[in-house]
Amino acid sequence: MKFKYLFLIPVLMFVLASCQDETDVQRTETFVTITYPKNMDNLNIKSEKLVFKNLGTGEDIEMPIAQSYRLPKGLYNCSYKADVTYQVTTEGSESNPENGQAGDHNTEGPETVTLNGKLSGKLESFEVKSDDLLKLNIETFLFTDKDDFIFEEIFFTGTLRPSGSQYYGDSYFKIYNNTDHVLYADGLAICESKFKSTLYFNYKPDIRKDTFTIWALYVIPGSGKDHPVQPGESLLICDTGIDHRNANPNSLDFSKADFEWYDVSTKPAHMDIDSPTVPNLDKWYCYTLSFWVLHNRGFCSYALARIPIDKETYLKDYYYTYEYTMFLPSGTFPMQQSAYKMPNAWIVDGVNCSVEAARDWDILPPTVDAGWTHCGTIDHDKTRYFKSVRRKVAGFENGRCILQDTNNSTDDFNTECVPSEIEIQGSSKDAQGTKATTLTWDGVLPKK
Amino acid sequence: MSRRILLLTLLLYLIPTFFATSQNTTQHKIILSGIIRDTHTKEALPFASLQLKGDHNYATMADVDGHFKMTGIEPGRYSISVSYVGYKKYQKKFDLQKNTYLIFNLNAANQLREVVVTATEARGPVTASVIDRDAMSHLQPSSFTDILELLPGGVSKDPNMGVANTIKLRETGTTDANGNSSNNQDYAISSLGTLFVVDGAPINTDANLQYSPMSNTYSSGSSNDTESKRNITNRGVDMRSVSTDDIESVEIIRGIPSVEYGNLTSGVINIKKIRKSTPFTARFKADGYSKLIAVGKGFALNGKQDVVLNVDGGYLNSKVDPTNNLENYQRANASLRLTWNWKRDNLATRWASSLDYTGSFDNSKQDPDLNFGRIDEYKSTYNRTAFTNSLKFEFPRIEFLKLIELNTSVSLQHDKLKQRRLVSPQRYGLAPTSAEPGEHDAAILFAEYMSDYLSEGKPFNTYLKFKGILHFDPAGFENDIKLGGQWDYTKNFGRGQVYDLSHPMSAVGNWDSRPRAYKDIPAMQNLSFFAEDMVTKRFSGNKLELLLGVRTNTLTGLDKKYYLKGRIYLDPRVNAQWTFPGIEIANKDLKISLAGGIGWMTKMPTLNYLYPDKRYNEITQLAYYDDKDPIHNSRFTVMSYIQDQTNYELKPARNKKWELRTDFTYGGNRLSVSYFREVTSSGFRYSNTYAPYAYKDYDESSINSSELQGPPALENIPYVEKEKLDSHRHAENGSRLEKEGVEFQFSSQRINPIRTAINISGAWFKSVYTNSLPMYNAVSDVVNNIIVQDNYVGLYDWNDGQVNQKFNTNFMLDTQVPEWGLIFTTSVQCLWYTKRKTQEKDGMPMAYLDVADGQLHPFDETAQQDAILQHLIQHYNKDTFAERKIPMSMYVNFKATKKIGKYLSLSFFANKILDYTPNYEMNGFTIRKNVDPYFGMELNFKL
Repeated sequence: MKFKYLFLIPVLMFVLASCQDETDVQRTETFVTITYPKNMDNLNIKSEKLVFKNLGTGEDIEMPIAQSYRLPKGLYNCSYKADVTYQVTTEGSESNPENGQAGDHNTEGPETVTLNGKLSGKLESFEVKSDDLLKLNIETFLFTDKDDFIFEEIFFTGTLRPSGSQYYGDSYFKIYNNTDHVLYADGLAICESKFKSTLYFNYKPDIRKDTFTIWALYVIPGSGKDHPVQPGESLLICDTGIDHRNANPNSLDFSKADFEWYDVSTKPAHMDIDSPTVPNLDKWYCYTLSFWVLHNRGFCSYALARIPIDKETYLKDYYYTYEYTMFLPSGTFPMQQSAYKMPNAWIVDGVNCSVEAARDWDILPPTVDAGWTHCGTIDHDKTRYFKSVRRKVAGFENGRCILQDTNNSTDDFNTECVPSEIEIQGSSKDAQGTKATTLTWDGVLPKK
Repeated sequence: MSRRILLLTLLLYLIPTFFATSQNTTQHKIILSGIIRDTHTKEALPFASLQLKGDHNYATMADVDGHFKMTGIEPGRYSISVSYVGYKKYQKKFDLQKNTYLIFNLNAANQLREVVVTATEARGPVTASVIDRDAMSHLQPSSFTDILELLPGGVSKDPNMGVANTIKLRETGTTDANGNSSNNQDYAISSLGTLFVVDGAPINTDANLQYSPMSNTYSSGSSNDTESKRNITNRGVDMRSVSTDDIESVEIIRGIPSVEYGNLTSGVINIKKIRKSTPFTARFKADGYSKLIAVGKGFALNGKQDVVLNVDGGYLNSKVDPTNNLENYQRANASLRLTWNWKRDNLATRWASSLDYTGSFDNSKQDPDLNFGRIDEYKSTYNRTAFTNSLKFEFPRIEFLKLIELNTSVSLQHDKLKQRRLVSPQRYGLAPTSAEPGEHDAAILFAEYMSDYLSEGKPFNTYLKFKGILHFDPAGFENDIKLGGQWDYTKNFGRGQVYDLSHPMSAVGNWDSRPRAYKDIPAMQNLSFFAEDMVTKRFSGNKLELLLGVRTNTLTGLDKKYYLKGRIYLDPRVNAQWTFPGIEIANKDLKISLAGGIGWMTKMPTLNYLYPDKRYNEITQLAYYDDKDPIHNSRFTVMSYIQDQTNYELKPARNKKWELRTDFTYGGNRLSVSYFREVTSSGFRYSNTYAPYAYKDYDESSINSSELQGPPALENIPYVEKEKLDSHRHAENGSRLEKEGVEFQFSSQRINPIRTAINISGAWFKSVYTNSLPMYNAVSDVVNNIIVQDNYVGLYDWNDGQVNQKFNTNFMLDTQVPEWGLIFTTSVQCLWYTKRKTQEKDGMPMAYLDVADGQLHPFDETAQQDAILQHLIQHYNKDTFAERKIPMSMYVNFKATKKIGKYLSLSFFANKILDYTPNYEMNGFTIRKNVDPYFGMELNFKL
């Protein structure tokens, strides 16, 4: 039997709502019900928090948990978070890939264990009108700690040349061992969503709750123990592992990166460079025969995954076809497309990216990422270049930096940071070639 | 007022008969010939009618140049009457005893006469629309494109000066997914197959090669970039460059043209320029997109010999989008025309000569503020000078010979397409360096560079046409036999595509082209002969006209490798019309005529289809990037294959057309309805086939960077011999185009109390665009590090085209108050529906090509389950192929012209000033339409 546990710090916070003056502001009775995930026996809420964000004023209003609230009229987001304990009855000794984590193998037969967990749910952009009674329902999702790599940083925007034109080829991921033990990167998959957070269609079948539809899938090679990463260490996985400064003085030197994704090509027109110094990721699938460039306007979601089946089976069986209808001013266009799917259960970490002005939806469901992060606020934001999203530091433990991982990238990431590699290499942080001079842990917290 | 009174003068030249012998053949009969003109302007009055009444009755109609000739007339006293619309009928008695040549000079009936502001259906056996000066003036066009609104099926459109305006007769045109019309290169035959003739000389576009390798010349389908939108290679005449201000009238032959016209599949645009004395005119037009100025004058030189000299010029400056200063179109045109009529006793001659210049200039730049400071400029200039001559001889004494005409034309274009672009190679770009096949080193592009491209074309064209018309009338059958031949020669003398190969326009993209001098391309020669008989028989009120003709088409001077070499294509064409005797109803005659025809038309391939650019297909063999010293020690080699894209088996595009037409006239009301069906199954397009290509895959990992003193030597690098699939492209007769439809036009008599005539015109068109052969399609997926298209390519039984339908009706109320100098028209344009249906595609390949053996294999169950081959299955939602119907939309256009004082007239138009475009549902969603009005005005001076 496998015993499961979660380290969650219960925090109990009841902060009274700040507004008491109800005479001059029209308020509406708002009823909120919370729907808890199914299959959670003996659910015990240790702490919970409900926050209304007034989108008109930008004000966060934290409310004590109650049946109903009296809210001034306006447009709101609402988020719910709770630390809970719940009981699970395990059946066998095999590790359940859904929770894929180490556990004690002691007894046989079913046994009931109590686990710690985090629940989270949200509603976006609902309108509180006067006179009406508003009934809201927040569906919550359970997060479990996967005890695996997490994204430390994603640099998808790329750099600019001195002429101001875009340069592709220097985007990168940093993945981090946030645990207290050695992790092996062998077999860890990196994938990019096929869907864009700025374009929502009613995809059929709607498998979003369970699977992630992807169009690029690269896997770290290795037999299982080839690429150990110590706690607090990270891996730099870049597009092309060369010194890009020969082509673009504003770019970076990646000749010492840990991995690159190399796209083999027989056409000189779109030839990727296979760096002799940086090992390649194993390319399982990509939608394009030219090079894979991270979506540099930041509309895609990214995930790290552990695929428990072999490559051939995956490539054969996880290709699916979906339908949707495009609505354009000139008419509606039914579409059918194919893509690979990644079961959400295999995902160890995921990050939604979007831009405020164009965001339609979160591609990864709340079970993977309850939030979203960004570089730039509008589509084609010209200020986004030379910026990355970096995970916040939660604290330090024996000199090891602990990054914040609440499965909510809105909370967990610092946005529009100077990328860590630009800081480390002291390279350009804008098209004019201004050099980076500061070093930070997470884009905000300075390193002394 | 004397002005209002008809002045009719007749200049009568009685031609004495010198040779009695010439009368031997026509001992008891004589020939009456002559010309009918306007007294003041010396303008010939086309199709004016002439009647002789006496012991025998005769009638004839003048030809397009105002000439007439009647033979077999019994000598005697006749009352001759001449009539022409807008001129008062002339009647006078003559004693005709000898062969006589008469010049009738008619005066305009009324300077404030009512004018025809619509297209008129031609009366002859050939289906055509005639649009004259008055209709054009009232329409206020910027270019020839605008005039097409007047054809049945035409609707007013906002000018689009950022794209080549090509003609589509009797069809809906291809549309993109959004329902906008697209310039699909696969169906270029629509416009390529429409012949433009100006004063008897065709505008030959066969040697137009102004394109950039980035454009869609060789690709299938449509694209919407700067280069492709303006690319007119293989697409015929760009109507933006045709100014309307010097046009007297246009005859648009929609039906089966006379065999006199060849090298076409669709119709003929027969433009007749102004050749008459006119006051100095100046036109100033301004609308939301453009400004136009045009001036002209026709000088009639005094004397008995009629000499008219017309001089005119114009300039148009147009923007694609009124708010965008970076994209514009300009046109300049100038013309000098001389018309000289002279006659001797036994010979009447007309010499019409013209020297025309047209300049057409496209400019497009990318906004540096929106494009990260990148430079991207496009500039295309077109300068055409044409010298055209037409010499027409008539023989008043020779009965059987009506006329002999000789047309010549010489035209020279000087076209330049310049592009300049800042190219930013990503990582590093590879530039091809060699024009030879085999293994080569490729140059590495390390940084951004400026790339310049020039395409210089100098298409030169000469044209010679000889035509004679013979006349016989045995047993009351009038036979007008047209015999002739035509030769034209086209060659491009330009320097062609000039650029630095080491700095191509695109570092990411398939740079498969090389600089090429167009002057090295052989000339093209077309030789044709034609014979046609127009038989007219009148019996008891009936009139039967039969136009029977055949034309030969040959390309001469071709290399013997071509299938076309020495082949003669025959175009038989028949048109017939039966006009029944009038049926009297309520004191007015109802006249009915029935017409029909069938014909074949042939369009020879253009210079580009016969001699396409070579395609350079390159495969990366070694891609060694040395990180320590990338500039000196890296090495990239490619294997080059040179593909000859020429298809020596290419045949001409042929169209078969048949139609039926009926025409009712009652009082001043007229209704014409025609049904047509046309099938072209051999339209030109470029298509791809796939085959394995061998290359060496070098093992870059064997190179030891630290030992290098320069690029690694190839000898020491191990390699594996591999093959990949790649495409091979060539011109094909692979496009099928079916056109079907009904056209109708009704024009009412003017209803006097409200001074308004009603015109109703419209059409239902159904156009089918398809390919006639299965297609290869390469997918872009990479699975398990295997590039799918390098190894497997599917063959699909696809129809890549569409079936489109359109049904429209225009109601035009034409109100004219001549004494106020006011013309006011209200046009209600109803587009009842448009339909678009994408031809069904089966995404399941019929077979796949495997690189391993270069063979096609059936795409069976096993293949469908294969991890890699499953990617060849294309998915289509079956709703994709459902017919999309856009329901009714209605627009109201107003146009007004008002004379102010003696010299000035003011015109105004407002299109889409009112509209009815209801929302409609599609797949459960409501679609809303937006309409922006388009308006403008102009001032016309007549001094």
